This record gives sequence, structure tokens and C-alpha cells, in this order.
Amino acid sequence: MSKQQQYRQTLQQLGKVARQAVSQPDVDRFLDSALEEGMKLVGGFRAFIALVDDDAGELVIHSALGQGWDEEKRQRRLQVAQEEGKGITGYVAATQRPYCTGDVNHDPHYLKFFEDVVSELAVPIVDAYGRTRGVINIESDQPNAFDEEDVSSIVLLADLCLTALTLHQSRVRQEALVQIGNELSTSEDLDDLMRTVLDVAAKVLRFEDCSVFLIDDDRKRLTLAASSGALKEQVGKVSYPLGEGLTGWVAQHGEPVRTANPREDPRWRGIASEMPVEQIGAFLAVPVWGRERTIGVIRVVRRRSLAPWFDNRFTDDELEVLSAIGSQLGSAIESLNMRHRLVQTERMAAWGEMSAKAAHMIGNRTFAIKGDLNEVEYLLQQPEVNREELTELIGSIRRGISRLEEILHEFRDFVMATHLSTGVDNVNNIIAQTVAEIFPRRGPVDLKLELDPKLPDIRCDAVKLKRCFAEMIENSLSFQPEGGELYIRTGLMDSRALPARLGVARNKQFVHVQFCDKGPGVPADIKEKIFQPFFSSRVKGMGLGLSIVKGIVEAHRGFVYEDGVPGKGACFHILLPVNGKPLGEQTEVKER
Amino acid sequence: MYRILVIDDEEEVRHALQRRLQREGYQVDVAEGESDGIEKIKLASPAYDVVITDMAMENPDSGVRILEAALAHDLFSEVIVLTAYGNVANAVECMRRGAFDYVEKNIPGVDVYELLVLKIEQALERRRSAVNTLRRMEEITRRLTSSTRHGD
Repeated sequence: MSKQQQYRQTLQQLGKVARQAVSQPDVDRFLDSALEEGMKLVGGFRAFIALVDDDAGELVIHSALGQGWDEEKRQRRLQVAQEEGKGITGYVAATQRPYCTGDVNHDPHYLKFFEDVVSELAVPIVDAYGRTRGVINIESDQPNAFDEEDVSSIVLLADLCLTALTLHQSRVRQEALVQIGNELSTSEDLDDLMRTVLDVAAKVLRFEDCSVFLIDDDRKRLTLAASSGALKEQVGKVSYPLGEGLTGWVAQHGEPVRTANPREDPRWRGIASEMPVEQIGAFLAVPVWGRERTIGVIRVVRRRSLAPWFDNRFTDDELEVLSAIGSQLGSAIESLNMRHRLVQTERMAAWGEMSAKAAHMIGNRTFAIKGDLNEVEYLLQQPEVNREELTELIGSIRRGISRLEEILHEFRDFVMATHLSTGVDNVNNIIAQTVAEIFPRRGPVDLKLELDPKLPDIRCDAVKLKRCFAEMIENSLSFQPEGGELYIRTGLMDSRALPARLGVARNKQFVHVQFCDKGPGVPADIKEKIFQPFFSSRVKGMGLGLSIVKGIVEAHRGFVYEDGVPGKGACFHILLPVNGKPLGEQTEVKER
Repeated sequence: MYRILVIDDEEEVRHALQRRLQREGYQVDVAEGESDGIEKIKLASPAYDVVITDMAMENPDSGVRILEAALAHDLFSEVIVLTAYGNVANAVECMRRGAFDYVEKNIPGVDVYELLVLKIEQALERRRSAVNTLRRMEEITRRLTSSTRHGD
């Protein structure tokens, strides 16, 4: 074969590898096939690609070809070299220059591993930031097996490997950032949000530890809101004065800080560090941006590597990625705050209406009681007191006062519905207690209880749930005055089985409580309205009953709806999350 | 005996009013709300002399609808509107449309029942004089018509 023909063939082969570098979605398969092409190209008999393990700062064999490999050899090959501080691969990783020897036995860097090696060619994979990402190593049993052109070919191959690795990394980052966008917008609370952020950050940025700090209401301090490692137990406890330390500086100035050696930075204070400062090899902190200002800081640290050539400082790319996560997190926190405020505004509006309604109802009752008292007075002034009439009037006054008390009761329950004091309890027990206390034993309605014995305990406010279940029972009884049936069933339910309109997040389990009866049922056009305050066809109280139920259930992060067939009976469903964290007990999302 | 219709959706209120007004010597009927009230007004023969109605029942302006029905049935019926907290605007609207007066159910330190009895007396007085005026005018018209006939 002429030199020119050989050259053309080499180009063709490398061209094929180049196409694969951009089109093969599976980076592992690409590296395997690239190595195979490389070995064929230069005529080696054994080869491997070692990649830098970022966490450990070590080289790890990724692909291996040729004779003599087994799992143990793959693992031992570089370990030996690293232990001895010798070996051509390590030397190339450190110098970042290709290395070629035609006679390993007289080579100062060579470390014997396979008996049959005579020539060896090693080429580093170096990225745009000048960091070693890996080494391609090809061996031969012939002396002086590799020439200048072979070295050039493998250098080209190394660049193609870098392209594939870089593409793969940015694909992973892109996917993760899309995922973070989706998940953050559906997160229901701050803890959910933080968990997602830490997961995604771990996927796209290698780090030893990641922490998120949020600025307090008075903008004087930063408090640890989440951490993936050493500081996990300190969440909510550790705090920085704004402006203090590197993290405090980021919060105050709204600019990132990136350093390989925080100890040498004059701003470093060593507050709440994930590890002893001398072990930190890279530090990166970026602001979490709200719409108008910084609302927190997200920071990541890497451990200093033992390999002296290993550079694990955060790159510009990584700074950009973390900044993107920071701003996604910022807008997610703000939209969460907004949702909370909206709920509050709705409740405030309901309170306004409720106050007017309560004033009206109390006014009416008081008016009636005053009338009765007038009559009592009048009767007492008569020469002969009519006891019968007097007794009737006093009964009426008593009824009036008890109606007033009902109003006050409901008012209180409505206001207090969302203030939970939670413990761990079983819904079956709570139902059994409620039934024992309020269900009339000789009433006209038959009670059928079907309680699932396998129901798990949940975090809940047992007193509030009792109030809730009592309301459901009383509601059912009041609609079946001539007699009927009430089924109370409990069971576990998966969120997939729920009506889509509830908008329940996937993969959630609920304790499901059903109250179904043989009463008139709820007409289709008012199914949605019955849970609004004052929407009641019952005489008792203020018509807040079902809105109190809704308040209590929602404070448990649960759901309530009715789906009975009008005319055949009502069927209420209450869903309380298993592993839920009730709203009433959670630390309020910080208002800014 | 004068006939009074009391319309209120609260049973206790109806009951207390009925009791007191009966004691004053009126014949008192009760209605449980707007539609029941309008029904009773339409069927009344002769018309009620005074209608006492709550303002907010099925609707926040139920009182206005009662007023319209009462005046449509008998122009000289007198309507007194009761309000319990927060319905003064609608009550004023009733006055504009010809209600005799409105009375707030809860006025601290005032015996509202006494006040209401007084208002009813005044309303009956106005109705009497209006009816008398009408009769006189009818009389005059009749006379004029007959004298014109004489002059034929």
C-alpha cells in the first residue's frame, strides 16, 4: 500500500469515528468502537481508554481491548500504577503530552503489568479548560511499533473522544435543566423543591456537597434550607449574617464566587463549612435570583484530589449551569410563595364574607331573643302569670342562645381549620372514636363500617379529623331523616386512581375515606359549590360545615370531593396523603 | 281588624314578631321567605294593610321584590323593611321606591319591637288617610260626572 493510500484510509477511518462521535447517543458504546478503530489504525494488540473519575481524581479504565484482560486486571491495571506513582498512563495524564516508546523495558516511566508488551503509545484527552479527562493507551508486542503518524492519528482520535464526552455531558445537563424546570413548577412545598434541586444538581455537577441558603424576611441573615451531605442535620439551624463569609458575600452582592482555595480568600470565615477548609479543592457559590433581588445562595464544594495533576476547579460551564439552577430555584420559590399568598387571599375574602354573614345571623338571633325577653317581661307584669307561656318563651330563648353558640362554634372551627397540631395516628381509630361518640345508636339510619385493617398510620391532627368525620356523619344523617344507610369505608389509594381534575402529583399514596349514603344525593350543578362557605341547605349553624371539612383536609394536603349519583345518594371521598407533611406543622415558606 | 303579613326566613324572628304584634291586637300572618311572601301577598283579599319584611332572604334584595309585589297588588299597602346588619343600602332603595320606612333589627339600647309597633301605627295612619283621600276623590269625580250628566 502506498503512503498516500494509507493516509487516505486513515482519514476515512477517522472520518467514520468523527461521524459516530456526534451521532452515537450512547457515549460508552462510542468509546468502545473508537478504541477499536484506533487499535486497528496503528496496529496495536491491546488497548484501553482510561477516564478521570472526577470524584476521586483518579484514572479508571473505561474500555479495554485485546488479550489478557479480565475484570480483576481492569481494576488493578491503573491502581498499581497509581500506588507506585509510576506508569506511562499517569505520566501522560500529568504532562498532558503524548508519549511513545518502542522498548518498554528500557523506559524510565514504564511499569510492568503485562509480560508481553514491548511498545506503548499513550495520548491524553484534554478538554477546553486544559484539564485531563482521560488517556488512550495502545500496546504492541513488536519493538518500535508506533511512528509519528500513529501518534498524530491517536491525538486526533483523542479529540474525537473529547467531542463525544463533551456532547454527552451537555446532553445530560440539558435534560437535567429541563427536568428541573418541570419539577420545580409542580413542587408542592419548599422541601420538595429543595430535594429536586439537590438531585438535579448532583446529576449535572460533580460535587462532594451542595447546600442551599435562603435569606430571611428581614434580610439580615441567611439560613441553611437544604444540604446534600455533612450539613443535612443542620438544616434550619445554621445561619450566616448577610455579607459574612463567601456565602454571605454572594447573598449581599448578588454575584458568584468561585475559588480553588477558599482559605486564601480574605472573605472566607469558615462558617458552616461542609468539610475542613484544607480539604476543599473547589468552591462555587451562586445567587438564587428572585424577580427583583437575590433571595438565597446555592453553593457546591469539591474535595481536593490526592493526584497532583488532577484539576477539579469549577469551570465556566459549571458556573453557568449552577447559575441556571439558581435562577430556576428562585422563580420556583417565588411562585410557591405566590400560591401560598393566593390561598391566603382566598381565605381572607371568605373571612370578610363570613364576618358579614355572622353579623347578620347573630343580629337576627339577638333580635328574636330580645323579642322573647320583652314578652317575658310583659307576662310578668300581668296580674296572673301564665306559666305555660312563660315556659315556652324561656325554651325559645334557650334555643336562640344555642343557635348563637352554634354560630360561634362554626366561626371558630372555620378559622382554626388550618391550624393543625399533628401526631401519628390511624384513621380507622379516629373513625371508630367519632362513630362511638356521635352516631345515634337507635337512629333511623343504618351504619355500615368497612375499615381496612392494613391502613398505615399517618401524620395528622386527630381532633380536627374527628371534627371532619363528625361533620360528614351529621351531614348524611340530616339528609336521611326518615332513615337510610351510611357506608363508611377506608382503604389505600394510589394517585393514579384519582380523578385527573384534582391535579394530584404522581406516585402518591392516600388514605381514602368514603362516606356514602342513600339520601337525596348532591345535584350535579352544585357538586363543586357545596364546599364553599355558606353554601348549605341545612338549618344548623352558618352553613360552614363542608367548608370546614375542606379546610381541615387541605391543611393535611389532602383532597375532598363528592361523586354520588344525584337522586341515589351522596358519596363523599376524603383523601389524606400517606407520608404527607401537613401544612399546619410545616415551617412557613418565607415571605419576601 | 288590621291585617299584617310578617315575612322573614328566620323562624325565631317570625315567631317573636307574630307574638308581639298579635298582642297589639293585629291579625298576623307569616311567610317563610321571598317566594312564600309574594305568593301570600298575591292571594290576599282584601290586601294586607301592612307588610313587614326582612331585607335579605333568598336574595340580598328580597325586600325590594316584596315591596314591588305588595304595591302591585294594592297601591296603598304599607311596607316596612327590616334589616339585620349591613343591608342599609338596599333598605334605602326600598324607601326610594315607596316603602313606608325601614327598621334596623339591632339598635343598642332601643326596644326595636316598641319602635316597630310605633311605625306600624304611623303606617296604618298614612294608609287610612290615603284611602280616605282616594274615596273623597272618587266621590268628587262621581259627583262631577253626575252633574255633567244633569247638564246634558
